[in-house]
Formats: sequence, structure tokens, C-alpha cells
Amino acid sequence: MEKDLRPRGLYIHIPFCSSKCDYCDFVSFSMDNKAQELYLDALCTEMDLVKNDYNDVIFDSIFIGGGTPSIVYNGFISGMLRKVYSSFHIADDAEISIEVNPSSFDKDKFFEYVQAGVNRISVGVQCLDSKLLAKNGRNQTKKHIKETFSILKNSEFVNVSADLMIGLPEQKSSKVMKTAKFLVKNNVKHISTYGLQIERRTILADKIRRGLVKPHDDEHITKTYYKVADFLKKKGFIRYEVSNFARPGFECRHNMKYWNHTQYLGLGVSAYSFIDGYRFFNTKRLDTYIDNLSQGKSVIFSKEYLSIAEKRMETIMLGLRRSKGLNLAYFQEFFGEDILATRAMQIRKLLDNGMIEISDGYLRITDPYFYVSNSIMLELI
Amino acid sequence: MTFMSRMDKIRNFCIVAHIDHGKSTLADRLMEYTNTVAKRDMEEQLLDSMDIERERGITIKLTPACMKYNYNGEEYTLNLIDTPGHVDFSYEVSRSLVACEGALLVVDASQGVQAQTLANVYLALDANLEIVPVINKIDLPSADVEGTKKEIEDVIGIPCDNACGISAKTGLNIESVLEAIVKYVPAPTGDETKPLKALIFDSYYDSYKGAVSMVRIFDGSVKVGDEILFMQTKKSFTVTEVGVYKPNAVAVDVLRAGDVGYIAASIKTVCDTKVGDTITLKQNPIEKPLEGYKEATSVVFCGIFPLDGNKYQELSEALEKLKLNDASINFTKETSLALGHGFRCGFLGLLHMEIITERLEREFGLDIITTAPSVEYKIYDNAGRVFDVTNPSQMPSLATVAKMEEPIVKMEILTPKEFLGGIMDLCANRRGVYIDMQYIDANRTKLNYTMPLNEIVYDFFDKIKSISKGYASMDYELSGYAESDLVKMDILLNGEVCDALSIIVHKEKAYARGRALCEKLKGVIPRHLFEIPIQAVIGGKVIARETISAIRKDVLAKCYGGDVTRKRKLLEKQKEGKKRMRRLGSVELPSEAFVTILKLDD
Repeated sequence: MEKDLRPRGLYIHIPFCSSKCDYCDFVSFSMDNKAQELYLDALCTEMDLVKNDYNDVIFDSIFIGGGTPSIVYNGFISGMLRKVYSSFHIADDAEISIEVNPSSFDKDKFFEYVQAGVNRISVGVQCLDSKLLAKNGRNQTKKHIKETFSILKNSEFVNVSADLMIGLPEQKSSKVMKTAKFLVKNNVKHISTYGLQIERRTILADKIRRGLVKPHDDEHITKTYYKVADFLKKKGFIRYEVSNFARPGFECRHNMKYWNHTQYLGLGVSAYSFIDGYRFFNTKRLDTYIDNLSQGKSVIFSKEYLSIAEKRMETIMLGLRRSKGLNLAYFQEFFGEDILATRAMQIRKLLDNGMIEISDGYLRITDPYFYVSNSIMLELI
Repeated sequence: MTFMSRMDKIRNFCIVAHIDHGKSTLADRLMEYTNTVAKRDMEEQLLDSMDIERERGITIKLTPACMKYNYNGEEYTLNLIDTPGHVDFSYEVSRSLVACEGALLVVDASQGVQAQTLANVYLALDANLEIVPVINKIDLPSADVEGTKKEIEDVIGIPCDNACGISAKTGLNIESVLEAIVKYVPAPTGDETKPLKALIFDSYYDSYKGAVSMVRIFDGSVKVGDEILFMQTKKSFTVTEVGVYKPNAVAVDVLRAGDVGYIAASIKTVCDTKVGDTITLKQNPIEKPLEGYKEATSVVFCGIFPLDGNKYQELSEALEKLKLNDASINFTKETSLALGHGFRCGFLGLLHMEIITERLEREFGLDIITTAPSVEYKIYDNAGRVFDVTNPSQMPSLATVAKMEEPIVKMEILTPKEFLGGIMDLCANRRGVYIDMQYIDANRTKLNYTMPLNEIVYDFFDKIKSISKGYASMDYELSGYAESDLVKMDILLNGEVCDALSIIVHKEKAYARGRALCEKLKGVIPRHLFEIPIQAVIGGKVIARETISAIRKDVLAKCYGGDVTRKRKLLEKQKEGKKRMRRLGSVELPSEAFVTILKLDD
């Protein structure tokens, strides 16, 4: 296989949260300053441990995600980024994103981030309704959200993204629309909409099982999604991926790497990497992560090499998530397969039913069928 | 001491008992008492029996046992011949009975006479067997020995003065049973000097000896090297081994008139050693075979298909193997649009069908789909021709049909009084025709009905059991055919007929059944990208309809970093699930869809 020379992405996981949201299944821990210090040390050691493998590559995106990156003590993020710059080749025009939670974000942190090079801030808004958020275990109020946006607005920070949750139990679609409108009004350039998925082993899944909470049906979530999508399109946003909307030019460079099969390196507890055809991830235990690194040992927990068949499947799956669709020439070149011929019958049927379209060398799912993309992918893989 | 002939010292007997009344335990105890098997081998023997039998608490087949017992200074040979304990195998039972002169009637002192027992006792009486009553479980606190004796006398009409009261579990009074066998069961009669006349009462396949016939010799004798003739199949073979069961097969030099044992002759399949057939010598045959031979007739039919279409060959081989040991399974190739290649199989009854399908899954590791059980209908067309139809998809168009007949059974249900109402409702609901009702005692009644077999092949037995909290029992036998207003109901999925879901049903019931079936199918067929109408149709007329609405959400919301692997695996799993589906036109059907048809509530 030819070496992939495209610039890479760097992901850093900050696994701390003040509390766990009911629906969340990401790895996170409640924090104290001591644990944060140990974690920062460990992160720096991990960079030292791996940096030599990346001497000859350029990273043009950094994504600091969590957990809640904005919750760590002042100086953590800037210190960490300094270590990043001294360990890896970061492109001058790199996109450097950080996720912030309105309840732990303030002016000091904002200035620290910006001075450390952060040029894209993703705000975990989810929903404006404080009561609803509280019910879902998220300690954040409408006031926090407004303050966050006023900090960003006053300093004329441009590249702002926000998360918007769809389908929280008891959340009416009008509330979702209200939040969407609020985001547009506040000049957000990028919106990620998350149709709520009930993940196993979450507080929410448990509440549903015990009958304390009734989830919305698929119909409701789908309708709400299309309402939001229509609204954002009218406001000049482009849906460039199933869950992601951006004003032209504000697509998230880092996230695109996931969907393009571009290589990325993940640092921190539970972080995933995709390098030279391998996908691997670090231990999900904070204590193991810190212990191992304090002894200079690797923290990679598991590694898989993607077979051609798996890569083919992912290429279709990820390609069809994007509005642009699956690049047919790339697919043919990479897998030596003309999918239009190998899946001719299925494609014919999907075309006849208006579920997909083919143009400009791309095969894509049509708008009304975006929310049943899995069923369509299954016909093609 | 008077001179006793060889035959005077032989007793051939069987045991008639209701499930759980202790048949196997008594057999074990008898063998133990006569030192036929050591105690430790006994357990192994129990363990060897099929899982299915043990789970259901029924003994389908037990090997015969040849026991030696000393009585008054003489050594007697006691041959215990087992009878299968289920109505599906009543023909086999009848042949086993013919091989005996007497029967032990085992009744549980705490439960009294049960339906199954009665049916088999009558068979034994019909075969002119001497009945020796044995009251078992007399050690139980709830035992009512005198009451049970009285019941036997009242219900069955056999005197119980000499009845043995025992506990097969503890071994109490076992000797009295052995004595009673010698005293009351008549010795066999027969003439050793006449040409060979032997009855096959059972057969099985042994991988070394081939098909082995279990026989009772009525006249003559047989030894290794003899050329024998099977009078029904008209095939002849050279005997390679004869022997008796102790209870393992032990070779002997010769089997003579009055003996029970086995004959092996390098026969390739049990289809050549048919139960009920008569064996004689090829060179010196008898004129007429024994009476009462019947071809095993299939009563219940279903389609069996491999879940994975590529496993057709494996299924075919598995059925061939089962057939080696069970001549009563019939199968022919069948092709279904929905299910692909498979077999239409005929069984002696529902239990037999369940046993075979379970063995296919357990012993051969096959995932199979079985279609709704059907019975054999007789269809008369306008030209006066008759067709036997066991597969709904073969039913000719109604326009050409002059009349249709369906098999009818005589049904006998024994139930405690309190459940009478519920059971009579059920029978009425299943088109049962009430004949009469008898009071067996203060508590129990026997209901007699005639009803169509097709009404009981689905879940009738389960229903009886659930209505009566397990107390009622039932028994039935085919009594003939009756003209009936039957229709073929098809199921259309997205406008296409799914042949594997077609059923033949009585006109009166079609509407309710169609509706129930459509509803059930709606519950098991996953949503598709398009709307799917489900229609129940009779002769082009839609009688019920449901609609599966199109899928609205099938999307992975977020997909970042490590999620990609997880989401790929989810998709792979979805894909695997899809592979297990059966595709019918544009609709994908899970195998559960074919099972729903079996589980329709009234």
C-alpha cells in the first residue's frame, strides 16, 4: 500500500467531568487537582514516548476533546499545547479545536486557549432548557450558555461550533428549534446535531429500563432532525455529514479526517489512533494510564489491522455519511472494484426508488433517506 | 418334580404405565434384582438415553431385557419388552404387545389410573395379554393403595386381589412382582419344529451390525448362516448374528420358539426391517405372515429447510442418517420460493415431529426452519380423481375442486371436573363434536370427542395442559376422513405470495386466523426502507391486512475516532443478521416469521 502523505490529525482526550450526563458513554472521571496534574504529566510522557515515530509527518489539526476540556485547572491546556508544539510538527495554519462546557468556561480560560493557539471552539450547548438538562444530569444553565456566547462575541472570536442534542426524553421539537435559532443568531459557524442514541451502560439506559424515563420514538427524532436540517439550510448552512452542518469554509478539518480515512494520532486515556492501516486505542483506565506512563510503558490497549474487506466497508460507510458521497474513482483505484458493476442490482433499485443519486463521480444518499443511511449502506457493503 | 419343557420356563411381558408412574424405575429394579445388570451399569444405562426423552420425562424406546429368575428351584427366562409411551407410537406399541403374553400394569398409588394407561391397557387386553396389576409408590404418604385397587377394578375391570404393592424407588416387594410374572403370565406356546415364524416388534441401526431386528420367535428357530426372508418387503438376507439382550446385545447360538432376541443380517437400512413384518426362512417359508402388519403412516407433515441455504446437503445427510434408525420418517425434496431447497417430511405425530426437528438441531448442529404442520387432505377434483395433499402450496385451484376431506380423530380427554368447562370450550372452538362424557370417579371425567386432526396439530395439547394446569391428559387415534369446507389461505408480502406461509384452514376460521397471522407477522418482520402490506388472501380475495410502515431512523448519529471501529462492527452485525434473513422478492423475512404461524392464539 502506498504511504499516505496527507497531513495528519492529533486528538487529545481530557477525561474529566464535574458530573456524568445521563446519556454519555465516553470515558470520563470526576476530577481533583492532583489527578489532573498526574494526568498532564502522563500526557507529556506519552508524547515523549511516541514523538519519534512522527518525526517526518505534519499535523494540520488538533482536537482537544473529552470529557470536559474546559474543566481542568488554568494553565493545563496551555502547558499541554506547549508540549505538543515541542514534540510534533504542527502546520502553521493548523486547525486547533477545543470542546468547552458552558458551566466551566470563563474569560480567563478563553484567553488562555487563544494565546496557546486555539482557533476553533466547540461549545457543548445541547439544549437551552436548563430544567431539561438538569433532568439529564448535565449541570449547565441557560445563563452559562449566554455568558459563554457573550465572551466569544465580545472578543470577536469567529470559528465557533456548537453541539445540539435532538431527542432528549421529554424534549419537544420546538425546544430543539429554539436552540437552533439561538445558535444561528449567535453567529455559530458550525453545528453538530446529535440524534440521541441510547448507549448501553449509561445512566439513561438504566432509567429507561426501570421505566423512569420514556424515550422518544424514531418518528419524532427523525422529524425533528429534518426540521432542524431544513432550517439550517435556509440559513445558509451546508450539511456536509449526517450530523454536521457548517457555513461554507467552516467544515471541521479534524473531523473530516475520520470520514476520509486520513490518519490521526490519539493521545490520552481511551484515545483512538488510525495510523498506517492500524486502528488502536489506549487503555480506558485512568490509573493504568498514569501508572504505565510513570514507568515509561506503552498505554496502547488494543490494536487492529484493518483488512481490505474492513477498509472497504468503512470506506462505504464513511463515504455515504457525507453529503458529497462516496468517491467512486477513489474506491475503484483503492479496492480495484467498480461498485457500480459489483452491486449493479442493488444500485439500480436504490436509484429507481430515489434513495441514492450518482453525479460528478460520487454516489450519495438523497436527502430524504439520510436518516436511514444504515439500511442503504447494508445494500452496498 | 414334573418335567418342564424349555418354553414352560419363559415369560414374555411388557410394562404398561403412565408417564412418571415408574415404568423405567421398575424395569431397572427388576434387572437389578435378577442380577441382569450391576448397579453401577444401571446409572450409565439411564444416562445413555436421549436427552430429549429425559427432558420430557418420557421414555420413547427402551431396549428389551432378558432376565434369569429362580423360582421354586427352576430357572425362568423373563423377557421384558418395552412399549413406547406415547400415542404417536401406538402401532409400535401394538406390535410389542403381540410379542408378549402378559403385561404389568403399573399404577401410581397416589395418582390412580391415567388416560395414557387406560389406552395402553385396552390395547393389551385387545392383544389377549394377561394383566398383572402393580401398585407403585406405596411408600408415599399420599398413597391410597386400596382406592387405587378399587379404581383399577372399576375402571378397567380386572381383579386386583393379587395385585403387588411395591415401591420401585426403594425396591420394596420387588420379588413379589417377579413371582407374579412367573405365576400369572402364561408361558409362550409355539412349535420349534415348524418353519420359522418371527415377528419384528422393533428395529434399530447399529454401525457394525447394520439394521438389527428385535424379534419374538413364534415357531421354528433361527441361527447364524440361515437365509431369512422378510415377508412384507420380500427381501432375503443371510443371518450374521442372533442374540438376546442382557440388556446389552449378547450373541447366542440359536433363537427358538418362545424366545425374544435379535437378528442381524448385514442389512443396510431399517427400511428393510419394518416393525410388524414377519421373518421366515427363505428355503422353508411359512405360508402366511403374521396378521396386523401396517405400513407406518405419516399423520403430520411439515417442510424442513436449512436456515442457511448452503446447508441443504448437510440437512439431506442428517435426515438420511435419522432414517437409518427410524423407518417412520418420510421425506421428499421440496422447493419453496421463500425458503429455497428443503424437504417435506411426514411424521407419526406431533411429538415425533418435535423429536426429529430437535435431533436435527442438537445432534447435527443444524439451524432449521420448519413450516406449519399440516395433515393429509384428500382432494377430489371435478373429474373424480383424488389427490393427497400435505403441502398447502400444492393445493389445486378451488375451481377444479369437487370436494375436500380432512382427517378426523377420536379424541379422549381425561380431566379433573373443575376444568371441564374450559376444556369443552376449547374443543368446541376446535370444531370438536361432543360424543359423551363418563365419570371415572368422584373427581375425574373422561370426555369423548371427534375432531379434525388439523385442529390439534398446532397447540391443542399445550392448550389442554394450560387450561387444566397440567392435570388433564389426552389421547387420540385417527378414525377416518370427513368432508369439510376447507380453503387455502395465502399470505402476500408486498404483493407477493409467500408459499411457506400458506395454510389450509376451515372456512369458518379463516377470517380470524388471517387477521391474527397478519398481526403477528407485522410484529416479527423488521421495517424496510419501504412500506410493506401484509395480506391474507383466499382465492384472490383479501380477508385481512396489516401494514409495516417504512423505517424512519437507521443512522449512527456520531461517528468519530474510535467510534468508526465500533460502528463498523455494528454494521457488520446488521449485515450478518441480514444474511440470516430469507429474501422473498423485495421483502426480507426473519426465520421467526415462519414460527409465528405455529403460535397463533385463538
